[in-house]
Amino acid sequence: MQGLLIDPGSLPPECAALRAEVRAFLAEAMVHIPPVRRNRNWSGASADFSRQMGERGWIGMTWPARYGGHERSMLERYVVLEEMLAAGAPVGAHWVADRQSGPLLMRYAPDTLAPRIVPRIARGECFFCIGMSEPDSGSDLASIRTKAVNTPQGWVINGRKVWTSGAHRAHYMIALVRTDVRTDVRTDVRTGERGENRHAGMSQFLVDMQTPGLTVRPILNQLGEHDFNEVTFDDVTVPHDCLIGAEGNGWAQVGAELAFERSGPERYLSSTQLLLEMLAQADPGDERQAVALGRIVAQYGTLRQMSLGVAGMLSRGENPALAAALVKDQGALVEQAMPDIAHDLFGGRVDPGSTLAQAMRYATLAVPSFSLRGGTREILRGMIAKGLDLR
Amino acid sequence: MNHPTRPTMDPTAPAADSLISDSVARLFGSRVDKAQRERAEAGELDAALWQQVADSGFTLLLATEAAGGLGLGWAAAYPVLRGLGAWQVPLPLAETMVAAQLLSLAGLVVPDGPLTLIELGQCPGLQARAEGSGVCLTGTAHGVPWARHAKGAVVSLGAAGAGGPARLAWLDLTASAGVTIQPQTDAAGLPADTLHMQAAHCPQVASLPMALTEPVFTLGALARSIMMVGALEWVLGQAVGYAGDRVQFGKPIGKNQVIQQNLALMAGDVAAARMAALVAAGQAPGGDVAAADAQAAAAALFGIAVAKVRCGEAATRAAGIAHQVHGAIGFTHEHALHFATRRLWAWREQFGTDAQWAARLGRAAILAGGSGFWPALTQQQFSGLR
Repeated sequence: MQGLLIDPGSLPPECAALRAEVRAFLAEAMVHIPPVRRNRNWSGASADFSRQMGERGWIGMTWPARYGGHERSMLERYVVLEEMLAAGAPVGAHWVADRQSGPLLMRYAPDTLAPRIVPRIARGECFFCIGMSEPDSGSDLASIRTKAVNTPQGWVINGRKVWTSGAHRAHYMIALVRTDVRTDVRTDVRTGERGENRHAGMSQFLVDMQTPGLTVRPILNQLGEHDFNEVTFDDVTVPHDCLIGAEGNGWAQVGAELAFERSGPERYLSSTQLLLEMLAQADPGDERQAVALGRIVAQYGTLRQMSLGVAGMLSRGENPALAAALVKDQGALVEQAMPDIAHDLFGGRVDPGSTLAQAMRYATLAVPSFSLRGGTREILRGMIAKGLDLR
Repeated sequence: MNHPTRPTMDPTAPAADSLISDSVARLFGSRVDKAQRERAEAGELDAALWQQVADSGFTLLLATEAAGGLGLGWAAAYPVLRGLGAWQVPLPLAETMVAAQLLSLAGLVVPDGPLTLIELGQCPGLQARAEGSGVCLTGTAHGVPWARHAKGAVVSLGAAGAGGPARLAWLDLTASAGVTIQPQTDAAGLPADTLHMQAAHCPQVASLPMALTEPVFTLGALARSIMMVGALEWVLGQAVGYAGDRVQFGKPIGKNQVIQQNLALMAGDVAAARMAALVAAGQAPGGDVAAADAQAAAAALFGIAVAKVRCGEAATRAAGIAHQVHGAIGFTHEHALHFATRRLWAWREQFGTDAQWAARLGRAAILAGGSGFWPALTQQQFSGLR
């Protein structure tokens, strides 16, 4: 159970000054963001806000200076992340690039693509989307069919990616595709048997979203919002030097990328604006409200310490994959319980135009996605069960 | 069936204080068995086991050095209290440790032998009246742990006036006239007695240099939280081990995804409870944490409230899953599971239920409001928390 242990972390003194700096920035920058938009949390995006964060050195905080990074600690980065999320700041434009695309490029294309692209990420000018899921490949990522063929002009990609958040505003996608179709050995649906080499023959590419043949079509979510997209590749030709890492090494690389994605130390804060609205409206003399909200406070207090513990593991160079899965699983339970608790305490009795009512409506519709994105609850619990030696 | 301690449990002990952890594992792991647990439920206190624990120095671990204690803090006490849950040790050790800390800080004598605890403000049927330099207690206190075997009880009287220090009295249970002890048990079958008092005289009242208004109730809640973590960790290891051993339909039941998912959920609850208790122990007054510091006490109170809520919730969910995984065998008296799960059900109730502590946290957060909540959370203290 070693990987499931999280020891308490603590923030060094320099974090207090940084936190004050972030709060002062937010106090000004958030004036223009109405409460209802803050509910979007990191699904909210503003290129202008990202650029301002870049100017302040709050993107690529831990990256080396030669990539435009700021060589600060994982714990300092944690402080900026938690302050942004708690405030409902629109960090969505640069979120993916800061969290996983930049680190992936630095690891697997350190001398070719990273020097060109990563400094622009750090400046808050360059946004990414994730090209993993496909219509027939959700949790079972190894079954992807989008393929790239090597030609003298470059790699020619054909296929389709879905649930691609932010593709419509991204400058680049990192796409996982099949580069050796002979290894396209999918699970036999009748026998459930898996092909031997289903993890072989995949590669990752940096794809410029302006490339001819690439079409981005919105898929509205149940909130009626445009966040994710379908991205179609129709003979999309990408230059040879846009192959990330080694040909055929895509599965290992995407594993590392998912580890960046899932090891975020802040995955419990998505319903925070609803909590704040409830606290603003609640009556301290109402026992029922106090108990229900107090349980959330206890969850927040604990999850924040667990997140800090994960940040501490990252700062020590330890692998936080399992610990982060635990935090995300527990965090999603709290995030998802919030609108139901609000329904219990305030449902049917709030002014429909109030910010509380708006937050309730928003969270009710948004929370089902919180245990789907970044690995479903079932996938995460499967990882945890593996950590318990059950599989 | 004996009481297996699975090797998977060892790594869950905190890395710090490994010296204390090691001696806890040696003592509890080798000396505590099912027969002792059953005798405790028949109302006995195992004098030999108690003596071994006392000889190890655990009873005086939190007591000040001036009073002959070790002067250590709650972080050092954590592995001992965790051990009480992990090995289901049937002794009033937690109560004695808290009592010794409070008595020694208040400058009162720390008697040898088992001690117990009463928080006046949490006993609606109990009143204190000043008498000379002491107090007289009249009324009823329920659920006083192990009172029938205790030399006496530390009675926290609260502050004399608003903002004043908490006051402590010592109620001698071996000689005090006016005390009748009515044996009762908690959900674990352990002594949790009702005390009827008729002008029971406590000759001495001392002020306590500790900035907690209900020191007995608050530190008792911390002790129970840590004990729950020990029991939770044991229950998780037990359930995972059983799921790996028990074969049905030709394979271990732990190969079924639905069982894996439930155990993974339990592991998350246990990790959360452990984190909450570890953080609270690190902030609690004593050792390196100045007991009289109001700032430190506010952080400690928040940490303990969080821990009691989170550990109580984890206890509820984990006990349910553990029993479901074990099937019928886990429902038998023969199997050891119930020694841990019944303790979880008892301890989630004692020194404030998760709902009671949640109400306190909720009121404080509502007072902080939408704009004050996040700054207070990152400070780990809410000015309205009482």
